[in-house]
Amino acid sequence: MAGNRRPGGGYNVNNGSGRRHKRAPRRFNHKMQAKLVVLFIGVLLAFAVLILRLLVINRDNGNEYKKQVLSQQSYDSKEIPYKRGNITDRNGTILATSELIYNVIVDAYQMNNGPLNDDGVSSYLEPTLDACERLGLDRDTIEQYVHDNPDSRYYIARKGLTYEEKTAYEKEISDAAARVSNIQKEIQKEKSGANDESKLADLQTQLEDAQKANEAYQNIQGIWFESSYTRSYPNGTLLAHALGFSGTSNEGAFGLEEYYNDTLNGTPGREYGYLNDSSNLERTVIDAQDGNNLVLTVDTNIQSIVEKYLQEFMEEYKDGDFHQGYGARNVGCIIQNVKNGEILAMASYPTYDPNDPYNTDLLEGMPVLDEKDSPTYEYLTKEDVDTISQDNEQMSRYLYSLWNNFCISTYYEPGSTAKPFTMAAGLESGSLTGDETYYCSGSLTVDGWEIKCHNTDGDGMLTLNQAIERSCNVALMQMALATGEETFCKFQRIFNFGLKTNIDLAKEVRTDGLIYSADKMVDVDLATNSFGQNFDVTMIQMITGFSSLINGGYYYEPHMVSKITSASGATVENIEPRLLKRTISEDTSAKIREACLQVVAGENGTGKTARPAGYMIGGKTGTAETISGDPDNPRDKTNYVVSFMGYAPADDPQIAIYVVVDRINHYPQDDAKYATRIVRKVLTEVLPYLGIYMTEELSDDEKKELEELNLSNTLAYGATNFDQIPTPIICDIDTDGDGTADAIDANGDGTPDTPVDTNGDGVTDAVDTNGDGRADLYDTDNDGVVDSDSPKEGQVDLTQDSGSSDPVWKSYEVDSATGYYINPANGNLIDPDTGYEYSASSLPDNIGTGKASGNTGAADSDGNVGGASTSGQTGTSSDATGTQSSTTADQVGTQDGTAVQEGTDDGTGHNGAAADEADNAQNAGQDAAGAQ
Amino acid sequence: MSQGRNGKTAHGTPRSGSAGNATGNRRNPNPQRTGNRSSNRNGRELYAVRTRKKEPTQDYTLIFIVLFFLAFGLVMLYSTSSYEAGLDFGDSAHYLKRQLASSLMGLAGMVAVSRIPLKFWKKVYLFLYVFSLGMIVLIIPFGTMVNGAKRWIYIGPISVQPAEISKFAVIIMTAVWLSRVTQRTLQTWKGIFTILAPAVVEAAMIYGITSNLSSAIIVLVIAAGMLFVTAEDYRRYFVLAALVVVLAAGIVFWAMKSGGAGGTFRIQRILVWLDPSAYADGKGFQVLQGLYGIGSGGIFGKGLGQSMQKLGYIPEAQNDMIFSIICEELGLFGALSIIMLFIILCWRMMVVATHASDLFGSLITVGVMVHIAVQVILNIAVVTNSIPNTGVTLPFFSYGGSSIMILLAEIGLVLNVARNSRQGDAA
Repeated sequence: MAGNRRPGGGYNVNNGSGRRHKRAPRRFNHKMQAKLVVLFIGVLLAFAVLILRLLVINRDNGNEYKKQVLSQQSYDSKEIPYKRGNITDRNGTILATSELIYNVIVDAYQMNNGPLNDDGVSSYLEPTLDACERLGLDRDTIEQYVHDNPDSRYYIARKGLTYEEKTAYEKEISDAAARVSNIQKEIQKEKSGANDESKLADLQTQLEDAQKANEAYQNIQGIWFESSYTRSYPNGTLLAHALGFSGTSNEGAFGLEEYYNDTLNGTPGREYGYLNDSSNLERTVIDAQDGNNLVLTVDTNIQSIVEKYLQEFMEEYKDGDFHQGYGARNVGCIIQNVKNGEILAMASYPTYDPNDPYNTDLLEGMPVLDEKDSPTYEYLTKEDVDTISQDNEQMSRYLYSLWNNFCISTYYEPGSTAKPFTMAAGLESGSLTGDETYYCSGSLTVDGWEIKCHNTDGDGMLTLNQAIERSCNVALMQMALATGEETFCKFQRIFNFGLKTNIDLAKEVRTDGLIYSADKMVDVDLATNSFGQNFDVTMIQMITGFSSLINGGYYYEPHMVSKITSASGATVENIEPRLLKRTISEDTSAKIREACLQVVAGENGTGKTARPAGYMIGGKTGTAETISGDPDNPRDKTNYVVSFMGYAPADDPQIAIYVVVDRINHYPQDDAKYATRIVRKVLTEVLPYLGIYMTEELSDDEKKELEELNLSNTLAYGATNFDQIPTPIICDIDTDGDGTADAIDANGDGTPDTPVDTNGDGVTDAVDTNGDGRADLYDTDNDGVVDSDSPKEGQVDLTQDSGSSDPVWKSYEVDSATGYYINPANGNLIDPDTGYEYSASSLPDNIGTGKASGNTGAADSDGNVGGASTSGQTGTSSDATGTQSSTTADQVGTQDGTAVQEGTDDGTGHNGAAADEADNAQNAGQDAAGAQ
Repeated sequence: MSQGRNGKTAHGTPRSGSAGNATGNRRNPNPQRTGNRSSNRNGRELYAVRTRKKEPTQDYTLIFIVLFFLAFGLVMLYSTSSYEAGLDFGDSAHYLKRQLASSLMGLAGMVAVSRIPLKFWKKVYLFLYVFSLGMIVLIIPFGTMVNGAKRWIYIGPISVQPAEISKFAVIIMTAVWLSRVTQRTLQTWKGIFTILAPAVVEAAMIYGITSNLSSAIIVLVIAAGMLFVTAEDYRRYFVLAALVVVLAAGIVFWAMKSGGAGGTFRIQRILVWLDPSAYADGKGFQVLQGLYGIGSGGIFGKGLGQSMQKLGYIPEAQNDMIFSIICEELGLFGALSIIMLFIILCWRMMVVATHASDLFGSLITVGVMVHIAVQVILNIAVVTNSIPNTGVTLPFFSYGGSSIMILLAEIGLVLNVARNSRQGDAA
């Protein structure tokens, strides 16, 4: 174009004033202006067309597009999951909880539609697949899926990612980004600071690496997380049958999960959009309301003890005399608080893990079910289980039977455990006076049927109590016959047989058709019913009825849940014990207790083996025939349900326990000891746990047993046996010359020694001869005389245990005026020798003389020495101190724990070195109080 | 350089440039125009003749419209982008902040450009043109892929779109050349193609390297528009226009015939244009959603910020499809208002061009006017599915730092022309 430039002018300008000789500017002439106007008109026309187009779109398609826009909005896009409530035991141990988990969603469309990389594939694909791998997904599967379904936007690739896994994954990504910015900052710092070339270059390389790594993370597109909750049972099989289970769908099955399904479930939240008055879309989030929590009456510790022994039992008899498989068809145990119907433990075996309820491995050894789902006498082998696992219908039948809670859903003939009920009916109705005697010749003929006693030789003359003690069928039949069908049946209803107990568990079975009504009952039926055959019950019916027999006739509705709390922990509902009815009078109850006590305590008692070490309990054994698999000989005397139902402790019943062993896999089956042994083991641990004091003398074997179980010997706290009570060390010197011995001089050096109570039971059993705060002579055989300079086992010098030879107060600052130590906590002065702390008011008079006179004062007033006090104790509290030790000896025998508790009141007043001993006394006192 | 400032500057700088000493020493400066002559040796006589105007002309209408567009554009940008920005960046003002920064920089640039004597551009036009070509070439090694296209160069945190610079460069280049050729040259095909050559080269490179057809077209149309205004005949241009129409129709016809089989994405876009609902799930999605937005707005719209379509249905609504959201939120009323303002903007530029003191200034103004008009027309035409989809941004509204800064620089050029327009003639 340079050719067009003509230096020096020569522009052909039509309206130019100058020509050639002058470089007048070329102007925008009229023709150009006209063309500009044409151009502008063109632009106007174009705009006009577009405006027309806009109008046409609005006129022709406006309504259609409006609808389209509204219809493609997602109005109910998202449900926000709620958290199903927790189930905790009475101490707050979590038995069932819902954990937040995440589902990994793969968006194949997004992965496939990233910017293309050099190979012509989406650059999102590789990094995202890598990320999938890090999330524990199978790379090939995802790759295949993404390839096959390129437009899929929602594919649940993995369920149940935990919060930790998710945060770890996200942290990895944010770390990469953080690294880049950190290096960038460092570079900036370096540049503004030292500006070291080599360091900068190094940082630059680092930055490039970091950026490269970060870029890969930034290209992770097409993975997102969807939150959800999963149910988990941290204790596995513990309480499984009572809990039931619930999957991710939050639909509880069996037990508490089913019964309290609505309570546990919350309301899902929702994130949704809606159209407001002016057809504008509003988006709203309503938060999910989490479900309520259940607090159970069950105590996990007791439950664990029960399950431990049930499992042990099942293991012991596994693959036994009758068949391969389970040690017994079923074994169940319930422990109930007799005073309010609360269930403390409920367990049955075989059981399952609610975390994995569909595990078929547990089916091996289970009885084969007939077409009515009743168990037969054949048992599943491993191969059978494999076959069953293939068939959904079969599998659910068998699993259903595994999930079944034996304690509430299975009925059986109770056998002799029904005898206390028969006797109670007779006594309460007045048909029996309690003074009857019966003669047992080994059998009784009723309506022409000879019904045998289990002792076919006959038990001879029996009182009522002896009849229960020996479990004599003949005597019981005579009692029932004396009571009559009408009354007997009436009392069966009163004891709630045939009715649901309405325990708060799902799937409690109906038994109303399984007991007799009076009009259909003949004498033979009455006779067999009297000893618990020929009618069916459930475990929960039996133990609840039995509790009412024991507690004075109060029939409480059995229940598992004591409290319902909201998600935030506030109490929504307290479930109080519900007294349904009065079954029998207090008098009758006392008679039943007495009779049941004989079963365990009596010479000929059938339940002696149920008694745990150190305790006395009452109860009743049961050995019931069951229908055999042989239709021609249904009562072939080989299949038995054995049981023991008892209460403990005998003198003040707290709990009832019921153990049922259904057809043990061991010959012979008709031995109630299978049940009583379990009861014994369970109670041996449970009663000390409940803080119930032992009342029975321990044999050496029993002591050993307790030691092995690591259980403390609680005998001393509330024992009635005087032989076992330690005697305080006897006062043998008279310090003030009034003729009464008032202090201990155990080593005979003429100066009083400080009494020490080493084991905190409130009784002096050692002395401190040199006043250093540590016991140095001990009474090891509890006879009141020191006999050793080393402690026996169980006798621990608590002050020595503190680990410091100097008492605490010696580390305090010394007051220069008096030479006393100053307690930094309150500024009181402390006697440097005794550790006695003077309060500000007592200071002027007592300094110097307080300790000596105080001590003797204590001895004077009662002629005894303060059990838990030290020489620092002053006269102000001496009376009480003296009382403490003297009453310990006197009152322990009469009223359990009271004396010790009095000691507590005094003990709280102690200071300084006495604190250790005082604390012990206090603890002992509180224990005692707890037991009352 | 305007005479009006001489009174002030001359005191301090007696040797100051073009104004000369005679006026500089006047007690009461009587501002006069020097024009934009390359030489002011004859200045004194001219001043004597033209001493009518007291103040330099500022086109306040133009300034007002531009500022209004900037402010309103930011509001609409925030409205359209906040939802996606919040999702993608966790900061709903992500795009707004960046656009605001670009706008402020652009405003500064605008003021600067309006102060730079126009003759400066006459000196550097060749350099500028080569620079713009160089930038496009630089895309090959340094370009960054964004949304599947390599159109941006990142210089530190700032992304530059060389195609935008090209538009500026082509306006200057073509204006310089046009202002130097004779009308006779323009009456020949050779002359016409010579004038168009720089734009054609630029457009070819834009299309060849960045596959950015719309920018290439805009560059061509700018040059053609300027040429059309300068040349005094019509016939050739109608022939050219007819050729273009026939060519376009031919392509469309061919596209329909081929039925998209094996066609490039441009062919597909033509098919989508013809029947967007047939491709509703794929390529037609964006177009159709844009139409839904326009159609659902009604007369007064759903209200500012009430668009539903921006909630993920129109991806990156702050870019090319922003007009659809404007229609949805502000209705036909809002859309027509914006079109009216663009028309007024063009009209003002027409006035400025008419009254410019020399042809170069007029041509620059015409170039800027054509640039803005074409871009607005193409954008609205795409959004209303009046032409096949091609990525054109809506000036002052769409998100894009390079775009807004170049636009404001161009406005700066026009303001400069307006300031130096012939006295009394400017409105």
